[in-house]
Amino acid sequence: MKRSALITALALIVVLSGCGLWQRPPSSGDKKITLTLWYWNRSIDDELLKQVDQQFPNIHLNYQKIGGDFKAKLMTTLAARSGGPDIVGLNDWVSALFPDKTRFVNLYDLGAKEVQSKYLEWKWKQGVTPDGTMIAFPMDTGPTALFYREDLFRQAGLPTDPAEVNKQLRTWDAYFEAGKKLKQALGGKVSMTDNVKDLYGQVLAQGKDLYFTPDGQFIGERSEQVQKAWAAAAKAYKDGVVANVDRWTPEWNAAMNKGDIASFVGAVWMKKVLKDAAPDTSGKWRVARAPGGDGNNGGSFLAIMKTSQHPKEAFEVIKWLQSESNQLRAFQDLDLFPSAPGAFSDPKMNSEEPFFGGQKTGAIFAESAKNVQVAYFGEKFTLVDGIMKQEMDKVAKQNKSPDAAWQDAMKQIQRELKR
Amino acid sequence: MQPSAAAPDSRTAAGRPHAGKWREIWKHRAVYAAISPFYLLFAVFGVFPILFSLYLSFQKWDGIGEMKFNGLNNFHYMLTERLFWKSVGNTFLIWIYSTIPMLIFALVIAFLLNSAFVRFRGAYRIAYFLPNVTSIVAVAIIFSTLFANKYGLLNFVLTSFGLSPVQWLNNAFGIHLAIASMVIWRWTGYNAIIYLAGLQSIPTHLYEAARIDGASTAQIFFRITIPLLRPVILFTVITSTIGGMQLFTEPQVLVGNDGGVGNNGMTIVLYLYREAFVRNYFGYASAVGWGMFVIIVLFSAVNWMLTKEKENVSTGR
Repeated sequence: MKRSALITALALIVVLSGCGLWQRPPSSGDKKITLTLWYWNRSIDDELLKQVDQQFPNIHLNYQKIGGDFKAKLMTTLAARSGGPDIVGLNDWVSALFPDKTRFVNLYDLGAKEVQSKYLEWKWKQGVTPDGTMIAFPMDTGPTALFYREDLFRQAGLPTDPAEVNKQLRTWDAYFEAGKKLKQALGGKVSMTDNVKDLYGQVLAQGKDLYFTPDGQFIGERSEQVQKAWAAAAKAYKDGVVANVDRWTPEWNAAMNKGDIASFVGAVWMKKVLKDAAPDTSGKWRVARAPGGDGNNGGSFLAIMKTSQHPKEAFEVIKWLQSESNQLRAFQDLDLFPSAPGAFSDPKMNSEEPFFGGQKTGAIFAESAKNVQVAYFGEKFTLVDGIMKQEMDKVAKQNKSPDAAWQDAMKQIQRELKR
Repeated sequence: MQPSAAAPDSRTAAGRPHAGKWREIWKHRAVYAAISPFYLLFAVFGVFPILFSLYLSFQKWDGIGEMKFNGLNNFHYMLTERLFWKSVGNTFLIWIYSTIPMLIFALVIAFLLNSAFVRFRGAYRIAYFLPNVTSIVAVAIIFSTLFANKYGLLNFVLTSFGLSPVQWLNNAFGIHLAIASMVIWRWTGYNAIIYLAGLQSIPTHLYEAARIDGASTAQIFFRITIPLLRPVILFTVITSTIGGMQLFTEPQVLVGNDGGVGNNGMTIVLYLYREAFVRNYFGYASAVGWGMFVIIVLFSAVNWMLTKEKENVSTGR
């Protein structure tokens, strides 16, 4: 009795404390090596992952879909310094990991240079640190364009053909003017675009000098693109062309579905968001090149952790997953826009889309993707960008003066960067 | 544990005063082993994180790189950070807007449920308790559609009465009100059930005596029910204080990680969460956690004093 209780307790202790003590040694007996991959839902095409084992007879890929807050879980794993995967998906916050570049394998050491020419330069460079270490390999991209309601544009006397829209609304100022016209023509019920925060972000995405130089200096207070974005967002509010409706809310979905917002600039993946939000408007939307130029929002990467026993094999798997033809497949299955421009000319990229009135939007986004500027984000981009957007939000929702908001944002950023 | 009497054969352990105790423990090893799981779990998931967070609060750490000793910088930054104090202010305001009406409603509901003329009492109890077991995220999404600026139900009602819509989620008061109403909706029933249990422990002969003396319902409520419920009220005030100070999910789902427009929905825990898991300042966030600990202790003590003090005040007016 006593003894069995003791044994039970001991067994419990072992179970509780021993989780990480006895890891299975890598099996060298059989020829198959096991690679682990972490990704989140819809970041990689599951169909492709299933094929890896057939494609590489000596590799078994154990792919794990990590739910919830992927970044937080990855950070926790990195902090624990063990138990990480071989291959890991990284989102557009990849630059936040630059200070920890030693935790990842430098892909240039594995021969990444050989395939570099197949991928978009601006996308490739987002995965390379300022000192030339490549920690992340391109997956999908998020080229931006103007989504607009063809019927509302027609009623307001604005151009309706995508090429014509781009020609007449080439600058943000022209776009705001058109917005004023549209609002008047439609009895003040319809706003040209959704909100200032996203507008600010979209203008910023069209430039190349953002908040930091590659050597880590903060240049936000004098960067031309930042000032341009700020001024544009403030003007949009002053001109009354924003609805003040935030994305990712039921409000936004309702506004889109009811036709209270005539257009917005967004990445290619907004297509799916829009289709889900506004099913009743199917066929009325079109896509044109964005005012102010082409930009990019989001898109992810794959990296190999330093702790991996088989970096070479892991890199082979990555190269295969992100090959031109496989990126094309991922585009067909999940709308993941390729980062290998060789795929753009494929007819599959240019099918007619009923939601967009039969328009082939692929060509628009492909053109946009080719023109994105090579920009350096820096490890603190998200932090700084968040502060800017919060202040801009106050301009539009609490009528704060744009200049005061700018001053406050700069003060707060300087404080944050010093901590 | 009683110190065991020294065993007669403790000669072997001369000079080690605790040897007897250890031997006693060894003798009862099976019992100790049987109660050990709780202590082990508590050590691993309770004591260790608490101590580690204290250690962390003096470090600078992004969760991945090396830890750097940071002295009191985290605490200094916290105490000089406008947003930290703003989050403290928000938390208190929301707490006031939610707790006071919530406890009053709960008391009234419990009193009514406890009175003789209500039928289907069981059904009411379940109905009042249901909000508490609903997913907070679902609740927050529903409330966000109630308070939404453009297409919200509240603004729909206002405009249909010819009033102008209110931009609830664009100003501090509106955001506080929306979050507080969520808290009220969720916790009123829970507190009502606790009060009901308290009410049922009040001897009925007191009520009968009051009735015979011709007391009105209101008099009975204020002269008998409330004074005898004091300990229960104290309990709910303290739990609401701790819960209110730890408010997180409601604002996060309603207005996001930055607390909405002008950070007006930023509560202390939301601020802690953002600094730790969105911005990866783990050292700083640990310091905020300890700051929060101090605030909760002080505020609970104040509440306790206030609620206690009333006991000495005679109930006659």
